[in-house]
Amino acid sequence: MSTSRRSLLAAAALLPAALTLRPAVAQQRFESIFMFIPAGPGGGWDGTGRAIEQAARAAGLVGSFQFENVGGAGGMVGLPRFVNQRRNQPNALMVGGSVMVGAGITNKSPITIANVQPIARLTEEAGVIVVPATSDIRTWQDLEAKLKANPGGVPVGGGSAGGTDHILLGLILKALGRNPREASYVAFAGGGPANAAILGGQVSAGISGYSEFAEQIKAGRMRALATSGERRIEGTDIPTLKELGLDVTAANWRGVFAGPGITAAQRQALIDLMVAVHATPQWKETLRARVWADAFLTGDAFAEYLKRDITATESVLKDLGLA
Amino acid sequence: MRSRPRAGEVAVAGCLVALAVLSIWQTAVIPVSPIYARVGPTLFPWIASAGLLALSLVLLAQALRGGFAGVGAQLPVDWGSLAWVAAGLAANVAFIGTLGFVFAATAMFVCVARGFGSTRPGRDALIGAVVALTSYLGFEKLLGVNIGAGILEGII
Amino acid sequence: METLTALAGGFATALTPTHLLFAFAGCFLGTAVGVLPGIGPALTVALLLPITFQVPATSAFILFAGVYYGAMYGGSTTSILLNTPGESATIITALEGFQMARRGRAGPALATAAIGSFVAGTIATIALTFFAPIVVELALRLGPAEYFSLMVIAFVAVSSVLGASVLRGLTTLFLGLLLGVVGVDLQTGQPRFTFGMIEFLDGIEVTIVAVGLFAVAETLHLATRRKHGEDEILPLSGSLWLSREDWARSWKPWLRGACIGFPFGAIPAGGSELPTFLSYFMEKKLSRQPQQFGQGAIEGVAGPEAANNAAAAGVLMPMLTLGLPTSVTAAIMLSAFQSYGIQPGPLLFVNQAELIWGLIASLYVGNLMLLVLNLPLIGLWVRILKIPQPQLYAGILVFATIGAYGVSNSVIDLLVMYAVGVVGMLMKRYDFPVAPAVIGMILGPLAEQAFRQALTISQGDWTTFVTRPISAVFLTIALALAGGPAVWRAVVMTRRASA
Repeated sequence: MSTSRRSLLAAAALLPAALTLRPAVAQQRFESIFMFIPAGPGGGWDGTGRAIEQAARAAGLVGSFQFENVGGAGGMVGLPRFVNQRRNQPNALMVGGSVMVGAGITNKSPITIANVQPIARLTEEAGVIVVPATSDIRTWQDLEAKLKANPGGVPVGGGSAGGTDHILLGLILKALGRNPREASYVAFAGGGPANAAILGGQVSAGISGYSEFAEQIKAGRMRALATSGERRIEGTDIPTLKELGLDVTAANWRGVFAGPGITAAQRQALIDLMVAVHATPQWKETLRARVWADAFLTGDAFAEYLKRDITATESVLKDLGLA
Repeated sequence: MRSRPRAGEVAVAGCLVALAVLSIWQTAVIPVSPIYARVGPTLFPWIASAGLLALSLVLLAQALRGGFAGVGAQLPVDWGSLAWVAAGLAANVAFIGTLGFVFAATAMFVCVARGFGSTRPGRDALIGAVVALTSYLGFEKLLGVNIGAGILEGII
Repeated sequence: METLTALAGGFATALTPTHLLFAFAGCFLGTAVGVLPGIGPALTVALLLPITFQVPATSAFILFAGVYYGAMYGGSTTSILLNTPGESATIITALEGFQMARRGRAGPALATAAIGSFVAGTIATIALTFFAPIVVELALRLGPAEYFSLMVIAFVAVSSVLGASVLRGLTTLFLGLLLGVVGVDLQTGQPRFTFGMIEFLDGIEVTIVAVGLFAVAETLHLATRRKHGEDEILPLSGSLWLSREDWARSWKPWLRGACIGFPFGAIPAGGSELPTFLSYFMEKKLSRQPQQFGQGAIEGVAGPEAANNAAAAGVLMPMLTLGLPTSVTAAIMLSAFQSYGIQPGPLLFVNQAELIWGLIASLYVGNLMLLVLNLPLIGLWVRILKIPQPQLYAGILVFATIGAYGVSNSVIDLLVMYAVGVVGMLMKRYDFPVAPAVIGMILGPLAEQAFRQALTISQGDWTTFVTRPISAVFLTIALALAGGPAVWRAVVMTRRASA
């Protein structure tokens, strides 16, 4: 099936013997790391996990990686599995992020992101609001006026309901003084169908992470009106919503977590590893190539942030009628 | 036409009616948020459940009036064979999580082969173990796909 | 002309010894891994993704093209021999393919699948070479309203060939529709039919249901009637190769399958299942011996297999021209592009011309290689059927288990598969056709999402399906399919009456 459902519930691990870059063993911090990806191969979380592997192995920080992918329901299928199976395991990491926060709330799942230990927030990707190049909406002001007048008359396409894209639209409507429930949000299964609907002019506007639309914007097939970051995305001249006078920021962050039950010292060792990974040139290169904003935050500071993020997400989802 | 209803067909139609009722109940408990009043998440399940209910009631009526249209009498069930095969499936489910894939698959192999008339369980066990072990090693070691480790797999 | 020059350049890249070797390795690995249960093309590509870190981009993508096409070939083998479809695109192949195998005609079934794949794959690759940008632009015109109308055509096509047991066929179709409902609703995020279980939030995988309905149900069913001894698998008989009659019955389905499959691959919500259904039902409708369908009609293997491979090539079009992944496999290939720092998008043909044309050329090469590789293998594969019945069926169940449990490690998946197997056994016993269940399960969610997306876009205006011209055309076709035969008969009758 081409829907986002478990078209792929995959445990794709590496052919470990295949790529042995032989670095200095002296700096090695972990003999092996078990990397759990609560999503199918090929997506953002998978990419984050594999990028960590590339950087850590190139710098010789970790001997070998083992991967497990268990996708579905915004990570809520994989998460309980990680919590149950990797309890007390000091070398197990799980990739996660904003999507998991929202999915836990909407699904009213008994096990949520609060059940794992935050290690490090790594990247952040701002959302971007686009219109098809052929659209008569030229600027953000045009779109704003339309949304203010009749939100229901502006179908906006993006990822699944209650996800980061939907939340951003809700925040915008709220800031414009409209009720988020009036939105005409059209959920698509993944980047391909959403992109196609926007390019084909099936919807008036689209919302997603910048990297989803970057190439279409560069090729002039979509017009970017605004981004949702604190600052402009490097290398672009798309204004932020804040600059445009709308007090809205939202970003899709990704990070890594450890299982419950590990000791403070074991947790610190994982944090140190991520600090070392973050410092490698390879990691910097990955960030640049994928247009991921560096959002490095570790340990207790990350835990604090996570707590605030959960509260904030909960309140938006309530407004949207999803929680 | 036949006049006496056949128990099997009545039971099957009855199960279908029950299934339709079950899905109507599940449709009724789908939470609906007020924003999506236009075409909510329940319309389609309502259509599908109602359709199944209508169809299964017709089937039930046919079954009670002598049998499904155009279906001849069924052969008697070979309960012995079926029980062995079912036991194999049950053994697999019971053991795969704890004792691991190789053991569970071997147990299933022996039971199913017995159900299909094999009289040499020892040889079947050997064949099953070889098939399972080869699959396990191939998937786990070559492809890195996890197919269920257990006690035996822990040793390898 | 420009295209031909570029293609020639592509062949210059693809035909170097190194790249030929990569293409061969890809075809071989793809076929080998594609045959394994539970591992379809998407997972095969994902498993081999790490190789991208080892070799230059062009070589890696030539390898991938081989893997992708190879896995499509390999997928049909288990469907035909073991009734165990590894992925949703080969489910339909199992319907006739396994029946052919049981009647001692596994050789011709595998051969028509392989040659059909080659023919359709080549036609689709030619179309991809010359028409990709045009087809993609046309495909983009289709929105949710049009997809829904397409699904209506598919539903009409399915129900028009249910045959004698229309009532029971519709019942299983509705069962399939309900199975497709299970999971989180994409449009509203609400859980449906999950009985409060997290495992069901992302739905039930269609291959698990298909393997349950086909392989598990068949095994259970045969066990119930073992004493009666009438279900023996017939020994292989006749040639492994296609007879003159097989050729005559295969070539048209191949061509029709290719024509159906290719455009569907390009449609962002098309996928490769829909064209296989449409091809199957078209062949059944057009066949002079429709009663052979379900008993091992070669057209029912030739058409869907061709459609499936043509769709696979079609999927590459939006990916290469616009950077849009319309299938899981394409999404994984895109992430492979990214790991080379290549951003797939509308500029790909401009920025990476050499890579892309090398890739396209290697599709031609890979297709030919796969044919050469697979035809001799048929003799090897069919020996599987010489395994004595007890061990063969035990082995099939072990394979089915690997497919369901191997990747997800979920006992729930296994239980679902066995439960579906028991239901399927009862269906076989009481003469319910099983295929409509799988079809309902695949089409249902697609139709529902498209329907609701269309209505959200039109702000609840139901006339959107008839006021949008393309959608109206599709609905007219559906209406003609539904009412056409009756009207035709009526016309013939009146003529006869007046004559």
